[in-house]
Amino acid sequence: MKLSEIVNKYHCTIYTQGLYDPDKEIKFAFCSDLMSDALMIMSTVKESGVLEESVLITGLTTNQSVRTAEMLDVEVVLLVRGKIPADQVVELAKESNIILLGTGLTMFNVSGLMYQEGIQGIYSHK
Amino acid sequence: MITTDRHYVIVPNDYNEAGKASSDIKRFLKRLKLSWDLIKRVSVASYEAEINIVIHSIGGYADFKIDGDVIYLQFIDCGPGIPDIELAMQEGYSTATEENRINGFGAGMGLSNIKKAVDEMTLVSDINGTVLKMKFFIREEDKNVG
Repeated sequence: MKLSEIVNKYHCTIYTQGLYDPDKEIKFAFCSDLMSDALMIMSTVKESGVLEESVLITGLTTNQSVRTAEMLDVEVVLLVRGKIPADQVVELAKESNIILLGTGLTMFNVSGLMYQEGIQGIYSHK
Repeated sequence: MITTDRHYVIVPNDYNEAGKASSDIKRFLKRLKLSWDLIKRVSVASYEAEINIVIHSIGGYADFKIDGDVIYLQFIDCGPGIPDIELAMQEGYSTATEENRINGFGAGMGLSNIKKAVDEMTLVSDINGTVLKMKFFIREEDKNVG
C-alpha cells in the first residue's frame, strides 16, 4: 500500500506533515503496545529494507514509540484508538525522521483491514 | 581507524528522556557507514539496557567506545541490583511495575533481547549496582556498507 492509501482509507491524522511522503510504499506491519515486544520481534528481521517498508501500529503515544521505531529503522508509526500524541512526542518524531500518523480505528480493526490489503505481518526470524 | 569515547548520564524514571543516549549512539554509527545489521544490533541492545536503567535502577550512566574494530558499550547503575540474574535472563520474566507497562516496557524481554544482539557480554550485579558490558565486532563485511 502507498502511505497515502493508508491515510485516506483509515482517515489518518498526519502529525509530521513535513516528513509525509504519500508515495512511500508500505509492505509490512507489526502491532503492540509493549515496545519490548516490538524490539524482540522486529529486531530479528535479517533482510535490509523490510523494516523501512514497515509500519509500527501502537496505542502507546509516548516518546518511546518514536524511539523504538528509530532504533529499528522503522519510518512510520501509526497510533490507534484515536489517541493524540503530546507536542513533545510530535517534536521528537520530527527530529528522528519518523512519520507519525493517528487513526480512530482500534488496533485489531486497522490491522485486519491492512492485512486484507496484502500487508504482511513481521514475525520472529530465529 | 575509527575511535570515539562518549559518556551519558541516565536519569531514573524519566520516560521522556529515555532512549536519548541510544539515539545518539545510533546516529553516530549511521554516519560511519557500517552495516545495517550491526547498527541495528548495537541500537537494540543499547536501548534495552538504557530502558532497564530508567525503569529498574536509581540511576546510572552509559559509555560508548569504538576502538579499532570493536564497539564497546557499558551500562552501569547504582543499584538496587538484580537479585537473580539467571531468572532475569529468562524470556518473559519481569519485575516491572504497572507504571512501566503503561510506558510500553516490562515485557520481560530486555536482557534476552540484549543477549541475542551482542557478540559478547558480561553482567554482574549486587545491591550496590549492576554493570553490563557488551562487545560488538566490526567485521570486514560490516564496513563501508550503509
